[in-house]
Amino acid sequence: MSQFDPTIDLPLAAPPARVHGRLRVPGWLVLIWQNRKSRVGMLMVASMVLLALIAPLITVAHPNDFNLLATKQAPSWHHLFGTTDQGSDIFSQVALGARRSLLLGFAAAVLATALAATLGVTAAYSGGIVDEVINFFINVFLVIPAIPLLIVISGFSKNHGMWTMVIVLAAVLWAFEARILRGQALSLKNRDFVQAARSSGEPTRRIVFAELMPNMISRIAAGFVLVFYIALLVDAGLEFLGLGDMTGTSWGVTLYWAQVNSTVLQGEWWPFFFPGAALAFTVLGLVFLLAGIDEISNPRLRTERAST
Amino acid sequence: MSALAPLEVRGLTKHFARVHAVDDVSFELRPGTVTALVGESGSGKSTVARLLARLHDPSSGSVLFEGDDVARVRRRRDVLRYRSQVQLIFQDPFDSLNPVKTVRHHIERPLRIHKIVPSRQVEERVHELLRTVGLVPPHEIAAKYPHELSGGQRQRVALARVLAVEPKVILADEPTSMLDVSIRIGILNLMTRLKQEHDIAFLFVTHGLASARYIADDVLVMYAGQIVESGPIEEVLAAPLHPYTRLLLAAVPDPAKRLQADHIEERKGLAGAAVDPADGCRFVSRCPLAIDVCSRVTPALVEARPHQSARCHVTAPERTL
Amino acid sequence: MTALMEAPVETRTSAPALLELHGLTVEYGRARAVDGVDLTVHEGEILGLAGESGCGKTTIANAVMRILRPPGRISGGSVVFRGEDLVGKSDEEMRQFRWRNVSMVFQSAMNALNPVMRVGDQFVDAMRAHERIDRKRALAQAEELLELVGIDRDRIRAYPHQLSGGMRQRVIIAIALALNPELIVLDEPTTALDVVVQREIMQQVEALKRDFGFAVLFITHDVSLLLEFADRIAIMYAGEVVESASAQKLGADPQHPYTQGLLQSFPPLSGPLERLTGIPGSPPDLRNPPSGCRFHPRCPHCKPENGSLYLRQTTERPVLRQIAQGHEVACHLVEERRA
Repeated sequence: MSQFDPTIDLPLAAPPARVHGRLRVPGWLVLIWQNRKSRVGMLMVASMVLLALIAPLITVAHPNDFNLLATKQAPSWHHLFGTTDQGSDIFSQVALGARRSLLLGFAAAVLATALAATLGVTAAYSGGIVDEVINFFINVFLVIPAIPLLIVISGFSKNHGMWTMVIVLAAVLWAFEARILRGQALSLKNRDFVQAARSSGEPTRRIVFAELMPNMISRIAAGFVLVFYIALLVDAGLEFLGLGDMTGTSWGVTLYWAQVNSTVLQGEWWPFFFPGAALAFTVLGLVFLLAGIDEISNPRLRTERAST
Repeated sequence: MSALAPLEVRGLTKHFARVHAVDDVSFELRPGTVTALVGESGSGKSTVARLLARLHDPSSGSVLFEGDDVARVRRRRDVLRYRSQVQLIFQDPFDSLNPVKTVRHHIERPLRIHKIVPSRQVEERVHELLRTVGLVPPHEIAAKYPHELSGGQRQRVALARVLAVEPKVILADEPTSMLDVSIRIGILNLMTRLKQEHDIAFLFVTHGLASARYIADDVLVMYAGQIVESGPIEEVLAAPLHPYTRLLLAAVPDPAKRLQADHIEERKGLAGAAVDPADGCRFVSRCPLAIDVCSRVTPALVEARPHQSARCHVTAPERTL
Repeated sequence: MTALMEAPVETRTSAPALLELHGLTVEYGRARAVDGVDLTVHEGEILGLAGESGCGKTTIANAVMRILRPPGRISGGSVVFRGEDLVGKSDEEMRQFRWRNVSMVFQSAMNALNPVMRVGDQFVDAMRAHERIDRKRALAQAEELLELVGIDRDRIRAYPHQLSGGMRQRVIIAIALALNPELIVLDEPTTALDVVVQREIMQQVEALKRDFGFAVLFITHDVSLLLEFADRIAIMYAGEVVESASAQKLGADPQHPYTQGLLQSFPPLSGPLERLTGIPGSPPDLRNPPSGCRFHPRCPHCKPENGSLYLRQTTERPVLRQIAQGHEVACHLVEERRA
């Protein structure tokens, strides 16, 4: 018996779905709101999403337009985030770029995480030939160098649009996570409750999705955030290879140009700082959100709140 | 072999690499009977339970369920049916429940998987099962998570889950050893009641002879993977044949005698006896009665008295015909 | 209970007090895990501390060693070892104090061994953390200690997984003895082990105690073990000591209803077999313990028909009172009967 007994543990029943007027808020959302850290995180991410949504209303229409009359301007009331070497308004680039960046990062993370979790956990639980096959693919994808893979895949697809990028990113990033999740699932698989579910007659897919994965949410969510972050950074690199979508604008593109033009060396910090800060802000918000996710995933961490 | 025996085990053997966890174990479980499987840790008793629950496959030997060899069962429907009839309760009351799922989930799932009752009656049945195992009020308990319950309550949930499928056989793997002493009686009483009311065949794996005596009808004593003694429990306890059984009886704390701190000998770890076992009795290194033949020939399980068998050259010798 | 030997154990309590707890109170946030406990361990005696999980016995052990994990903290009372109050000591002083004066064997201690270190190295580790000694001498001492606990000396080079559970437990006990402390705290040392190994371990401890003269604070939920091995026993419930007496007295004449219930939870190995009831219900939530006597919701002697007694049971906390030489009980019913 541990120092902390069930009688001392602070209990909370199933997260209550709150009813505000006629609105039923799901239990997990309530939990995220109640944890201070994750509430901050949620607000941070939400504000960035909001910015992306209203961007067309508050920015110039073509952020990549050159405006040679207004190049290299420091932030001012006229150009909130300053201008690039070509005179483009950085605020517009960041705000409109948010749309593409958020969508890109989110989509790539969802795809990569879904692949990694499904394949990794199934491999761990099924064992045998299934494990061998999946393991083989994980190792193959881990070993293939990312850049050549990107080039090959992009070479095959005609358009270099965003969805190609998403697929490419997921293909490159899923294997790493899959191996980690497989490891975690392996350690869970011999726990009594999994054996109990097996002996109850639960089919494999239900054990993988409904018994094992809910116990791995923390790790899966952390992997999601990691892929999101890497996806956005890789975005910048892909521009360099000419694989990106040159017509759109994203934080990665702006960062890329900032680097290419050596703006910081010239004392112009703003083309680099603002998109970078936007990226950091978003990722930080996601990381704070993870704290709330830990609570959903492990009911023992849910602490009593006076306000409830 | 009795035609009524729902579960019969013949020559069950399981080797993990060099460890002979279970060797040539045979017995049967009868409805409305509790059979205790007693032994030290490492004796193989838990492995036997897991083999019966089909969590492992045997190296050799057979498990017969209602006459049919379970190992030949491959079709999902038949495996499911077996699983619904032979259920396992685990030792660790916390680990056997999924920490992120409610009590309701745990009991609902078997009901739905085996379609015990139609969908709309599931909730009602969950409450009924909770009441059967003494967890009230059921609607409150059903909403709780495992960490909100005490060890005894969790074991009751485990029992409710197992009962949901109306099994013929329940394999209880040390269900009370991780519970407080005062709670154990409650669980044991519950098991006795279930055995009587539902005519279930229980296999009660334990290292505690006293709790075995409290609820069991028959006892099987295991050592280093083999059954060394078997018979009705009262008779075995009153007049144990095998030296190991006598050792177990002597080791249970007895307040009537103050401890004498006498001769302490070095113990070979029990692991030694079941790893690459040589011919001969596996208890020989600890046995006060050992004679020459004991280290050469493995004794067979012999029915030395009516219904009571032991595996010992000295106390239950084979009669040479 | 069958007739017990009349050994004069009372003489042992005339040995000087080694460890005294006065009104010790330990809190975890709003929960009082230990509430005003008085306890004494005399030189060379085995004091058993028994109770269900959550009664505070492990917390007491951790408080004595000052290893409470936050949010646990000692909020009142004193822990006096040979006249010195441990509560006021600094971290550094405690570090020096530990293992030399008092050492501890934790629950599931056999899992406390580092799986990637050889047994010998773990001895050396422990010894060098508390005194200046070179590796060679430490290893030599370790071999001696292993022999003392009945393990082959060459096992000093073994890894923990190569030893059985019982052997690992004995290694842990040997490490606890390494600096020859005056008091050893054993917290559920045999819970995960089976009956035969348990007996061997206990015999070992008894023999070592005879040779080295240390005292033992033995914490367990298994009272039957204490009845055989301990000199005195204190029963705890919901953070309080409810009864304490010599092992014989407690076994022959338990006064507190909780003690009686506990003793009746052991099915007999011989004699008639009757249906036992154990103790219905479960231990209380320590953030909100029952008013009055904490055991009253589960006590078979607490009934409204008892009038004024019932009132006392539900509103007044019973105090530990001596009812015979060396026998104390905290129970309104017992007081009423003696009045």
